[in-house]
Amino acid sequence: MYLLKAEVSQVRRFILRRLFSGTIVVLFSVLFNFVIIRLAPGDPTRLLAGKDNPSQEMMQALRAKYGLDKPILEQFWIYAKQLLHGDFGYSYVSTAKVWDLIKTRIGPTLMIAFTGAVIGLLIGTLLGIFAARKKGSKFDLFLCGISYFFDSTPSFWLGLMMILLFASILKWFPTYGMYSLRGNYTGIGKILDLLKHMFLPVTTLVLIDIPYYFRIARSSVLQTMSEDFIMTLRATGMSEKKIFNKYVMRNAIIPTVTVFGITLAYMITGVSMIEIVYAWPGMGRLMLDSITKRDYPTLSAIYLMLSISVAVMTVVVDIIYAWIDPRIRVE
Amino acid sequence: MEKKKKNTFKLILNTINNNIQLKIGLIFLAVLLFIAFFGPLFAPYNPYRLNDDLLMAPCKQYPLGTDSLGHDILSQILYGASTSLKIGFIAAMISAIIGVTLGGIAGFYGGWIDQLLNEVMNIFLMLPDFFLILMIIATFGSSMMNVMIVIGLTSWVGNARLMRAQAKAIKERTFIQSSFSMGESKSSILIHHVLPNGIFPIIANTTMNISGAILTEAGLSFLGLGDPNVVSWGQIITAGKAYLPKCWWICTFPGLMTIFTVLTFFLIGEGLNRVLSPKMDANK
Repeated sequence: MYLLKAEVSQVRRFILRRLFSGTIVVLFSVLFNFVIIRLAPGDPTRLLAGKDNPSQEMMQALRAKYGLDKPILEQFWIYAKQLLHGDFGYSYVSTAKVWDLIKTRIGPTLMIAFTGAVIGLLIGTLLGIFAARKKGSKFDLFLCGISYFFDSTPSFWLGLMMILLFASILKWFPTYGMYSLRGNYTGIGKILDLLKHMFLPVTTLVLIDIPYYFRIARSSVLQTMSEDFIMTLRATGMSEKKIFNKYVMRNAIIPTVTVFGITLAYMITGVSMIEIVYAWPGMGRLMLDSITKRDYPTLSAIYLMLSISVAVMTVVVDIIYAWIDPRIRVE
Repeated sequence: MEKKKKNTFKLILNTINNNIQLKIGLIFLAVLLFIAFFGPLFAPYNPYRLNDDLLMAPCKQYPLGTDSLGHDILSQILYGASTSLKIGFIAAMISAIIGVTLGGIAGFYGGWIDQLLNEVMNIFLMLPDFFLILMIIATFGSSMMNVMIVIGLTSWVGNARLMRAQAKAIKERTFIQSSFSMGESKSSILIHHVLPNGIFPIIANTTMNISGAILTEAGLSFLGLGDPNVVSWGQIITAGKAYLPKCWWICTFPGLMTIFTVLTFFLIGEGLNRVLSPKMDANK
């Protein structure tokens, strides 16, 4: 990269501005979480007391234990300070630490989300490039049609249909959980068991993701091919194949790769619906349980982690993008 | 005058005929609107009626079967159409109004207003919207009104960005500059010239937003956050989930209807986009 001095300062200003936006998003999310827990209907101490008519002393003691008797600003200060230490507080329902609840769920969720995203990215991008090359052909029209269909499909419904087809009628794959309950496999057997359980959730996710990457790849190839410098290359008599492999591909692939980073963070919500369908022991299950039991601290902790990771991912991707493609920085 | 009108009509018809997405989308939309308005007339039962036959497979008496409480699925689907459309339309309208207003102001006035609003848009863009909607609905109750408003309030950024770009471009055009020199006030120019001339991409995007809102509502229903006082397709699917392998009909049909509806607005949106940017046209 050869950057002029003016360009370096431009990049620096751009990075600072993005970091600023990112920080505001994180602060907003923290504040939003604090406010929404306080505004939530119902008194958490009543819930914790676990009785129809708890005594005044008991309520008082509970309020003191959870710091709910302090003034609101002090409560926020304590909340923010605890967050900085990675402490999300206690669950209303199980009185366990929220972080302990979340900790065990992150692994399984990331396992599915990441596998699905990578496979979806590869297949979607390849199909997109292929369709763009054969623009207007039967193959292109077919792929576009299919991509509309999967784009309109709710992920959870697709999951239910996969269960119906593969697990109930064809009986190829297990539909429930992460490991066979009676299996007691070890070593290779355990991994195979895991892969078998992963197959349906990951396939569902891939089917939902493909149209997204397909469309980005297809339209960015078409966009690049319609640009003037490609016309110039054509005029020089360079072969269509060489133009495509050497010049179109390189320019067209940038948006796909950068978008991937952002979608990875957003994907957690998409994955959670699929997890619920397949009873996969990830964040989605935890989210559903927290919703049905109105466990606000757990819900808000999940939200907070999600929004922070989305903010970080977006800023990082923007900075990388600005570095690769100088046209972005001007805006 | 009469002739000119006819020509415009012909032109619109021609555009639709040459644009397969728009054509299919509009035909689908006609079917959908028919179901939403007249479906209840054809429904064999009251959707809330608890029939004595529980979990009946599709048969003559119940064309699409019944669920675990004895609701007739066909009647529920017919009644659910208006729920989905209502949520989609109103949520998308809210987001269009907010987006056009803020985007128009940002792009037209420029300066610090633009910078501030642009920063607000950037921030909204970074919020994980589905989860935000979910949190608010879980906290404040899942009435249909809440769902529509919250979806509208979180999905306006796309519209605002489009409108901002439009306003910026239109501002430089000659007819706006001459309005300035004729002494027309800024706000009047914005409302009478800039917004009407820049609205077309917003219409395409709003159609897409209808799809998004319907999918979001289905997702919320699946998480048990649907409005319990109305019939919606997402809620039928959720109710049927527990009986799945055996009673496949409960989940399957409302899901297919959801896809049909979402697809309709996707196709119309894509079709409108194709009219807008012929350069990216897929079928030429």
